[in-house]
Amino acid sequence: MYKDGMTGIHHNNTGESADMDKTLKREINMARNIQSQLLNGKPPVFEGGEVLGSSVPARLIGGDYFDFYPLLNGKIRIVIGDVMGKGIPAAMLMILTRGAFRSAAETTSSPADTLTSMNQALYSDLRTLKSFVTLLCADWDPSTFTLTYANAGHNLPLYIKGKESIVEEMPKVKGIMVGGLPDQVYTNYTIQLHEKDAIFFYTDGIVEAQNNEKEQYKLDRLIQTLIENKQKCVGEIEQSVMESIEKFTEGAPQRDDITMVLLKISDQQAEITSLNSPLIK
Amino acid sequence: MLLTVEKEVQNVITILKVKGLIDITTTNIIDPYLEEIDGMETVILDFSGLEFIDSTGIGSIMNAIYLSNEKNFTLKLQGIDEMTHTVFEMVGLYEILEAFHGEVI
Repeated sequence: MYKDGMTGIHHNNTGESADMDKTLKREINMARNIQSQLLNGKPPVFEGGEVLGSSVPARLIGGDYFDFYPLLNGKIRIVIGDVMGKGIPAAMLMILTRGAFRSAAETTSSPADTLTSMNQALYSDLRTLKSFVTLLCADWDPSTFTLTYANAGHNLPLYIKGKESIVEEMPKVKGIMVGGLPDQVYTNYTIQLHEKDAIFFYTDGIVEAQNNEKEQYKLDRLIQTLIENKQKCVGEIEQSVMESIEKFTEGAPQRDDITMVLLKISDQQAEITSLNSPLIK
Repeated sequence: MLLTVEKEVQNVITILKVKGLIDITTTNIIDPYLEEIDGMETVILDFSGLEFIDSTGIGSIMNAIYLSNEKNFTLKLQGIDEMTHTVFEMVGLYEILEAFHGEVI
């Protein structure tokens, strides 16, 4: 016999306990489906490039988050984030974060303003719940090839240079986690991208993935994988990174959620050449 | 044991020396040490033996910062290695510590 802490009802047979386990499992699976569907919506389609995101939770559901929001001015707003903790509590706060992003993206004019607005909206709840979320928000402008971004305590994305074998962290932009302090004002930074360049946004579950010897995957391995696969399309790069992590961890249990977002600029020259090629029948 | 906490009290100073991992599986070990602090002027968290900290662990340190405000003590962090420093700096933990009059020693 045990006492159910949630309802105060005393159960005295294992049948009821098994029923409860079954209900709980079903509800967790439903929650997993909701989260998966919200995360894996269709990525926006735009001229001159492609974007893609993917997330693999360490448990049934997770606290990592990414999203795309096409703006009326033709830009694409991208966000990636990591809620403190794991599992169901983190997943609940991830949904809260998503709502705050969608609402802020609609009404704010830049990534920094979006983060400022999100901190304003979420600070009180996160402080009460003793939690926080790190976020990186960026606007891709396909008409000017510029990426403007702001950071709230998140890993800096990696800049994959298309015409050189160089992958480096994007310039540092300071900003503290959302939920850390009230009234934070975040700042924007803009970089110019070029044909074939790509940007890799990610969460720390990638670089902190561990093998059975307790070694971490680390940034160097990630950079090497990106250099080796940079000529591929975003879907193939994503797959290559996942395969590289799986090979490194050798089946060791996944400790943290793994999330990445890839933005890649097309080879405009190749596209023009292909458009001008005669049709072969 | 994945995490051990050694407590040392010298008059109005408490030193908590952590050894091992502060992550989702171990914050329940360090949190009670922080919650029970009472009547102290200074609390020093010594990370010399820290091997790894995840976001839940950072949440515990943030809780310690907020407790320093509620319980009126100064929180000092020491023995932070380069890897942990990079993480603390990235998430903005030092700014929060400073806002609540704590310091890194």
